[in-house]
Amino acid sequence: MRLRLTDIGVRFGARAALRDFNASVDGSKVVAILGPNASGKTTLLRTIAGLQSPTVGMVELDGRNVEKLKPHDLASKIAWVPRVAEVSGSLTIRKVIELGRYALGPSRQRVEDALAKVDLLSRSESLWYEASAGMRQRAAIARAFAQRTPGGVLVLDEPTSALDLRHLRMVGEMLRQCASEGDIVIAAMHNISFALDVADEVFVLKDGQLVLAGATKAVLTPSSLGDVFGVDLAWATDEAGNQHLVQP
Amino acid sequence: MALLLVAAAIFRLVITRSVGGDLSFAFPDEKYVMYRLVPLISALIVGSALGVSGMGLQVLLRNPLASPWILGLSSGAGLGVMATMFAEHSYGMSIFGGQTIGALVGAVVSLLLVFGLSRRRGGIDPMTMVLVGVVISVLCGAGIMIFQHLVPMGLRGSFTTWLMGSLPEVESWWRLGILGVVVLFCISLIAWWGPTLDAACLSDDEAKSVGVNLPQIRRRLFFTSSLLAAIGVILAGPIAFVGLIAPHGARIVMRGSHRSLAIATAIVGALLLLAADDVRQLIDFGTGRLPIGIVTSVVGGLVFLVLLLRGKGRV
Repeated sequence: MRLRLTDIGVRFGARAALRDFNASVDGSKVVAILGPNASGKTTLLRTIAGLQSPTVGMVELDGRNVEKLKPHDLASKIAWVPRVAEVSGSLTIRKVIELGRYALGPSRQRVEDALAKVDLLSRSESLWYEASAGMRQRAAIARAFAQRTPGGVLVLDEPTSALDLRHLRMVGEMLRQCASEGDIVIAAMHNISFALDVADEVFVLKDGQLVLAGATKAVLTPSSLGDVFGVDLAWATDEAGNQHLVQP
Repeated sequence: MALLLVAAAIFRLVITRSVGGDLSFAFPDEKYVMYRLVPLISALIVGSALGVSGMGLQVLLRNPLASPWILGLSSGAGLGVMATMFAEHSYGMSIFGGQTIGALVGAVVSLLLVFGLSRRRGGIDPMTMVLVGVVISVLCGAGIMIFQHLVPMGLRGSFTTWLMGSLPEVESWWRLGILGVVVLFCISLIAWWGPTLDAACLSDDEAKSVGVNLPQIRRRLFFTSSLLAAIGVILAGPIAFVGLIAPHGARIVMRGSHRSLAIATAIVGALLLLAADDVRQLIDFGTGRLPIGIVTSVVGGLVFLVLLLRGKGRV
């Protein structure tokens, strides 16, 4: 599986949300998308997931234009996790996760696995509108997990923004598992430590343009990120000897 | 729920109020049975049609307050019927399809207006939509009043009676049959689309990503919901609130896919209208029986208020 983005540009009226984006990603990789607020991360992810038509350029998956994929093909190749999942109606958590199999045929096993992966088995019959933000975020991740075809693409927009530390680790392990099964995993995130833990590669955006790209440890340095985010950063070492980027 | 429906139907068949106002319970003579069966069957058709139309609109617009009445569909269909009646009575015009086509055109035009005027940044804004629906409803109401004003004095009484909503006691069997079959077909279609309706409860991006063809299901729901609402208006005039309450009532008694919910909503809608018809047989102010639209408006208005105040109504 190879994802190729060529000269991608997205405009909303007069505003350019994304400009001249070129990149390619191979399977079995976790790619973190970083950048300040309104730098174009969500627009990039929606474009990759086939949910936003680029104004110029093309997204190709194994040479096929993602925009031209039929709904069923899109669902079988690309799974999407929004920043905030929205569900109207009186659906249960389990039902929402089952919807991941809408186009691909029901699979009780996949749904059970997904529920277990995000620690929602015991809360699966809870109603969506009664669930906490963290439960909803885990359910949205589980739905994509139930939907994904190994070797496909998993696109996640800030998938850990509402998670506690235990579930943050769970989701990190899930993303690594998907990559180990051949998936291209692309996730926008603000948690630099999480990116350092799970990502193989990083794309850093600023003002709709790709400003940094490459292997995670090479790109995520105090000086490079300090320039992008406009803050002072430094390495700090914890008791276990792990290095973290912190604001001094 | 189905048993309650049967009980309400039997009650409707046996209840009799004499001219003096006394109530009695007995199966009617053979020559009068038709005057009980026609409103009974009409209640089943209209109640289930309005209920499922409401459910379809609530999914289509992701708004638990959506209903044929709130969104101006019923009054749009009413305006279509009034325009047709006006043209027929005042100018002797013969319009193809008569009131049926008038109601359908009125319903579709109203929903198109509400749908189009509620769009904000490429999406539907639920609150704007309810407000636009109310405005369209008021405008259609004004149009209806204009037609009412223009018709000769002798016709105004029948126009007013129609506007209050009432189940017919005399209706040709073939017309009832055709409308019944169309309603059954539309409800079956919506139930068949149940899994897609479930997935359409997700946001647009999420629904598309799991493989839903959103434009297609929206077009389908749009047309079938309009058709069902129009049939309700054709048979019984503008009956308020059944389309709003029936889906919520069905959700109280069952939790599940929209496939089973559509069937439950049809039963609850039919039960609501039949129960309202039963209730009006029991009320006598000495001026004849209350129009059924008044009963559904009183009950429905209170339920609508409760839903608004709770702020928890869910599609």
